[in-house]
Amino acid sequence: MATPYSGGDDVPNLAVAARKCPNHRRAPEEASNFDERDHMKRFHRCMSIAVLATLAFASASSAQDFTVFNRPVQVHGFASQGFAYTNHNNFLTMNTTNGSPAFTDGVLNVSTSITDKFRLSAQGYTRKVGQLDDFRPELDFAFGDYRFTTWLGVRAGRVKTAIGLYNDTQDAEFLYTWALLPQGVYPLDLRNAMIAHDGVDVYGRISLRQIGKLNYTAYAGKRTFDDRGGYYTFASDLGMPITAESGRAVGWDLRWSTPLKGLTLGSSWTDLTQDRKGVFTAAGFVPGAPYTGLSSPQRTAVGYGDFQRGRWDFSGEYRASDYWLNILVDLPGVPPFPWNGSNECWFLASTYQASKRISVGIYHSNLHVDAPWNPADTASNHIYDEVGAFRYDINRFWTAKAEGHLMDGYGDIFSTQGFYQRSNPDGFKPKTNMLVLRTSVTF
Amino acid sequence: MKLTVQFVATAAVLVLASRGAHGADVKVIANPSVAMKAVSADDLKDIFLENKDLLGGAHVEPVLLKNGAAHEAFLSEYVGKSDAGLRAYYRSLIFTGKGAIPKDFGSDAEVVAYVAKTRGAIGYVRSTTDTAGVNVLAVK
Repeated sequence: MATPYSGGDDVPNLAVAARKCPNHRRAPEEASNFDERDHMKRFHRCMSIAVLATLAFASASSAQDFTVFNRPVQVHGFASQGFAYTNHNNFLTMNTTNGSPAFTDGVLNVSTSITDKFRLSAQGYTRKVGQLDDFRPELDFAFGDYRFTTWLGVRAGRVKTAIGLYNDTQDAEFLYTWALLPQGVYPLDLRNAMIAHDGVDVYGRISLRQIGKLNYTAYAGKRTFDDRGGYYTFASDLGMPITAESGRAVGWDLRWSTPLKGLTLGSSWTDLTQDRKGVFTAAGFVPGAPYTGLSSPQRTAVGYGDFQRGRWDFSGEYRASDYWLNILVDLPGVPPFPWNGSNECWFLASTYQASKRISVGIYHSNLHVDAPWNPADTASNHIYDEVGAFRYDINRFWTAKAEGHLMDGYGDIFSTQGFYQRSNPDGFKPKTNMLVLRTSVTF
Repeated sequence: MKLTVQFVATAAVLVLASRGAHGADVKVIANPSVAMKAVSADDLKDIFLENKDLLGGAHVEPVLLKNGAAHEAFLSEYVGKSDAGLRAYYRSLIFTGKGAIPKDFGSDAEVVAYVAKTRGAIGYVRSTTDTAGVNVLAVK
């Protein structure tokens, strides 16, 4: 692989620019405290609505099913609230070193069967995680699904992208023992990078007779971007905010239910394009100079497995991502330079259902950054995370979790995953311990 | 050695008996529109996991009991998931738009009544339940 642009006298120095960026001079504590007071007001409002709605639906579960023009309609939703505390480093743009509740999300979902073969589904999503997203509602998915037969169906519209074990279900944390999925593979701040596409999926389930069954999904479409999500935020921190972004996604996912009971193996592959426009704001550049970022290339290959036996579940996933963006600066004499955000990440996890209401689990999450900006900074080329989790199901609709994280490393400024310069203006400490509490209601 | 053989034989008999009891405790029922006399265990699992919605060329729809011994026995024997595991699975379908949560009922009589009146419905009830108006499917 080529080395990333490493700065020089004749071209802009991104690291210097990043440190000089106005965002870094903002008083983070003050801003965070304001953010969190504001958050609490909104949070109380949203949670009140969510809890009332949940109680109403949960107390009369049949209320979520009704008919329109004689067709069955189902309405479902969930809301979750988290709290995170770290001993060092603010995480996910929250003020976690003081303990932060700025960690809320929710979903409302409607679906109906128009005919035996044709379904319509739509879902809205909103969240606030630290300084990300700010409760702005977004269309999570909305598509028509026509199933010709078991081995052939088509979905068209905005569809959740099938990658790895959990990409399409990563927001539904009540499905898991974890309060946070392994962040090396499913970074909460970057969820929108590959969460959905506007296009077409072809899918089905094929019998392989004695050797099991194979679920396949192939897709193509336009990528969705989140201008209040992690990519926009850390690009802004670097002094090169994004003004427009577009791209396409093509890929596939194969999921093999093996003859060994409880064992599923899978593989995914995706090829992305990206056309980014922005304007430099950092003092290391000529402020106001426009730039263009073009993917060259961006591909992710994934292998995963899950084995369920009795009360035990073992799972693991490996991803290798080539993430190259060729930056073209509209300044005389400045050559194009590559931005390399490539990485490899994986996790191994195990959970145990101790009783009807209690489950516990552990995982190791591993992120390796291929080309850190400063190779001499040995904590910037990785994030290792050792996690222990406890989940208690208060009832069928309400869960509570407590989770401890021992994190080593903070990743690179060009592949930010949770550790943002704007919320850590004095730099990063190499190790971070974190406690996460999270509760969710669903109907 | 003799003691070990006796222990293993007893355990095997108990396991087989318990598996047999599960199978015998539950019967699978279908609306008369499902023109089948039997269903394979594989197809039954796929129907209840919403991987398959056609049986013998006809549309089918799974129907659940809310809880109880027959419910637990059916899930353990034919679906391979606990009640909590199955509900989490259905929620994963809902929140990706890939499926719906099936109808569920609190009693065998309600399941029979719904299956009897709903084209393509497939459910399960205790083996002692009166199943007039529905077909009983053998599980191969």
